Parts: sequence; C-alpha cells; structure tokens
Amino acid sequence: MKRFETDAQPAGRRKIGIAEYAVVTDETLLVTSGLGSCLGIILYDPRNTVSGLIHVMLPTVDQARDSTPAKFVDTGIPLLVDEMEAAGADRSAMEARIVGGSEMIQFSSNGDSIGSRNIALAEQLLEEYGIPIVGSDVGGGHGRSIQFDPAAGELSIRTADEETRTL
Amino acid sequence: MKVDIRELGQFNHLASQGAERAARSLSQLTGVQMDVEVTDVSLVTENVLAETFTGKSFVGVELGLEGGLEGETVLAFERERALMLQDLLLEATGSSDELAQSSVTELGNIMIGGFIDGWANHLGEAINMTPPKYTEAVGPRILPDQAIEAAKTHGVFLFESKLEAMDVDLDFSIYMLPEYRQFVELLSGNEGNQIPVNRLSAFEDLAKEGAGNAAGQIGMMTGLDTDVDVSRLRFVPLKGVPRQVGDERFVGVVFELKGLPSGYLVVLFDEESAQTVASSMMPGDSSEEGIGTMTEGAIKELGNIMTSGFIDGWANVLGTSIEHTPPNFVHDMGSSIMSPVVGKLGKQQEYAFVIDSTIEIDGRQGRCDIYALPNERELARALSALPAQG
Repeated sequence: MKRFETDAQPAGRRKIGIAEYAVVTDETLLVTSGLGSCLGIILYDPRNTVSGLIHVMLPTVDQARDSTPAKFVDTGIPLLVDEMEAAGADRSAMEARIVGGSEMIQFSSNGDSIGSRNIALAEQLLEEYGIPIVGSDVGGGHGRSIQFDPAAGELSIRTADEETRTL
Repeated sequence: MKVDIRELGQFNHLASQGAERAARSLSQLTGVQMDVEVTDVSLVTENVLAETFTGKSFVGVELGLEGGLEGETVLAFERERALMLQDLLLEATGSSDELAQSSVTELGNIMIGGFIDGWANHLGEAINMTPPKYTEAVGPRILPDQAIEAAKTHGVFLFESKLEAMDVDLDFSIYMLPEYRQFVELLSGNEGNQIPVNRLSAFEDLAKEGAGNAAGQIGMMTGLDTDVDVSRLRFVPLKGVPRQVGDERFVGVVFELKGLPSGYLVVLFDEESAQTVASSMMPGDSSEEGIGTMTEGAIKELGNIMTSGFIDGWANVLGTSIEHTPPNFVHDMGSSIMSPVVGKLGKQQEYAFVIDSTIEIDGRQGRCDIYALPNERELARALSALPAQG
C-alpha cells in the first residue's frame, strides 16, 4: 500500500505550542496562544524575509530535569537565532518582539515571578546578541495570543477581552 | 506490576510522534492543515471505557503485533468524524468511496506504525504488524474483547490523541489501546520512580470521589443539580495541558497544594456558568452585569470549599497532610491561566498526572472543570508508600 507521508505542511498558518518554535521563509502566519507567564519571542529579518517564533516557558535550563531547548529563554534564544541564520537570516538585520511574561497568579513561594524573570532574561540575551527589541507587550496580569504576519512584518496581540493591538 | 514513570513518558512520546505523523499525512491527503493538540495516556477501568465510548459509533483499525511485542492493538475514532474525513478525502482526491475508506485504514496504519516503529527502536527488537483490519461498531464493542476483559480486572492503558483542523471544524480524537499485559511489562523499568499499577487505579478512584464531593458542594451552595460527567487520571506532557484547556475564556480559581503530594488545583467555569452559579449563591435575585466583584467573591468561596472537598480523601488514604493556599481568582483565556501552573511544575518534570473532572451543573446548562496537577515524584512516592492491598 502506498504511504502518504511527507514533512511538508500546507502553507498558511503555523501553530506553535509551548516549548516549540518555527522558522519560515515565506508568508506563513506564525501563531501561538495561551501566553501567560510564558514568553513569545519573535525574530524577524525583513531583508532576507526570515521569521521565527518561539514559545518559551521558563528562564533557565539550570536545575531543570528536562532540557528541551525550546522550553527555556537561555537555550531558546540561541536556538532560534541559529535556526534563523540557517534559513538565510542575517543576525545584524534581525529585530525582536517579545510578548507575555505576565503574572497571572500570585504564588506563595517567594522570589520573582516566572513571568518577570522570563522578560528580564530575554531582554538581556537579545541585547547580548545585538538584536534590537522593536516592540514589546509584556507583564501585567492577563493572558495573550499572538499572530505574526511576515508579509506585513506585523505582530497582532489579542487578549481575553478581545482587545487587539499591533506591534 | 509496577509502572516506571519515565517509561510511561517515553511511550507517551512515541504515541505523540505517531499522532504527528498521522496528522501530517492527513494534512497532505486532505489539503486541510491538521495539528495534534495533545496526546495523553491513562489507565482506565471498565467504567471509564464505558463513559468514553458508549453512545457513539466508531470506526476502528485493528492490528495484530508479532515479535518484540505481541497482541491486538486497536485504533478507533468516531464514525461521524471519520465520515467527514472521508468527505474531505473524496473532495481532495476525487476518488471513490472505497479508496477513501482505505485511506482511513491507511491513516490508522500510519499512526500505529509510527508508534510501533518507535517502540521497536526503543526495545531494539523487530515488531511486525499483521495487515490492518477495518471495523465498525457502536460503543465499547469497537474494542477487542480482551481489552474489555482487562479493563474489568485491572484496567487498560488508553492513549488519546486530540487532533484539530486549522480552518475547518474537524476536531477529533484517535484512541489507541495496546495489549495490556505486555505493555505493563514494558513499562516496568527497574529504576526511577515506580508506581504499582493497582495504586494508580486506587488513586483514580480517589479522584473520582473527590470530584463527587466537589459536585455535591456546588449543589449545596447553589441549590442546582450537579453531577460528575467524567473524571480521568491522565498522564500528559506538561506543555500539552494549556492546549487541552483551550483558548476559551474562563472564570475560576487556582490553588497551590502543600504537603505530600504538593501541586496545583484549578477550578474553571465558563463565563455563563460562573454567573449562574454566583447568582444562585446570592439571596434574592441578585445578579450583576458581566463578571464583577460579586461573581469573584462567590467563585472564590465556592472554589475554596470544592477544593477542600476534592482533596479531602487524599490525605486520609495517603496518610499524609495536604493544605491549600487561599484562592487566586482568574478570569482569562484557559490556556494562559494554565501557563504559570505548568511553568511552576515544569522545573521539575516534563510530564504530569492530571486529574481532569467535569461537573455538569443544572442538567447540561453549565459546567465546571477541575484540574489537579500533583507533583509527579511526590505522588509516586506517596502512592508507593501505601501498604499493599488486595
């Protein structure tokens, strides 16, 4: 019997889950939802039309038992930059947008919230890479869903109130 | 028989890969983009099988396995959904009914094949499949007799992959049941965190009781009829939990559990149910526009009582003490509510045991979902420490 198998997905829209990422070189919309304390990081090289989105969950891989790179800010950003470059992007042409990192729930355990640590580390790493953050919608106490449109170079952010803003 | 949590994670991963392959093939065949939302595995009893399968028509693909793993493995999906798939296939290929049907069989083949290939690699032994057999039946009869027998005596492992289509309304589940005895043998690693299989089902019963208590408490506080619709103990990749809850807007409360096991408990109502419940708790005809302070107060109070009722039995049975924090009120997208919860657990674990109970309120008018996510290792420790039982 013939096997219908391929790695290709029809173009259009790509949904990215937690601890997942995608890099595209066409006009495929990149979407991810349910950003609470998690952070959505979008890298975009308009010159070479390469776009990437990663949905990270925690700041650092240190002390974690699971080392999926796309799960953490400190391993996720290098991964995304590498994959973007492999797809033809130029680091010096990349721009970043970050969304999420909210503090939805006050946990009793002390220390900064996951959200604020995610934001701080992402900002620091992107600066180290020399990638400017051209838009950010972070913090607060609400969730966000995002969609990046490579054709327009635009990121739209939706909250539960159906409010939409564009970065 | 004992189950090694790491092995269970490994098999969940293999099943997810099989589902991803099936989804990719489907996208290819139909031109409609399909994604796997989540793959979970649970040890289910006869009752849960009945809840899951009764009253629905299924089509299935049965395969015999030989070699490194033997026995019947079955894959099933709802007939109505399968027909929609067939229509899409017909549209896409312009082919005959017969070919569409064989495509569904082929899909089952790919999905199970993905699982079996991974399995064989994992075992380092070849596993051969007999040709797939297409079946149709109503209710649990879609499952092989031995699976139903096994569910009666010790439970069976049920894998469920939820697939969703990007632009059409075609969400469906693929169920897969490997033959029980051999599967349990595979799961029994010899290191790491092991849980005796029978304790796992004992804990599931406990969770069900807890859901019953919580439903009872909603009933008492509101005067509305309540009933536990389903309650399952699922083993899920943590990152799949927010997707499982979905992007709909919910009103609810999040609690942190402290003790053995520690963890999190989340009670969620859809907005309408939250308002119904809140106004039923108020004297007279009080109600408010939207979700305001009145609803917040009511949901917090109710959540507090439900949570106590839900975990009440745990400490007794486990012989430990478990406390919960005051309620954190949330009103947001379900997936983003779960995001900090999986974030907190995610430092320690990749998979989670999720107790997922749905309570029906006032007939089918309203519903409430309870998700309990105990710390995996602590739960394993507490369950393993239980004295042996018959």
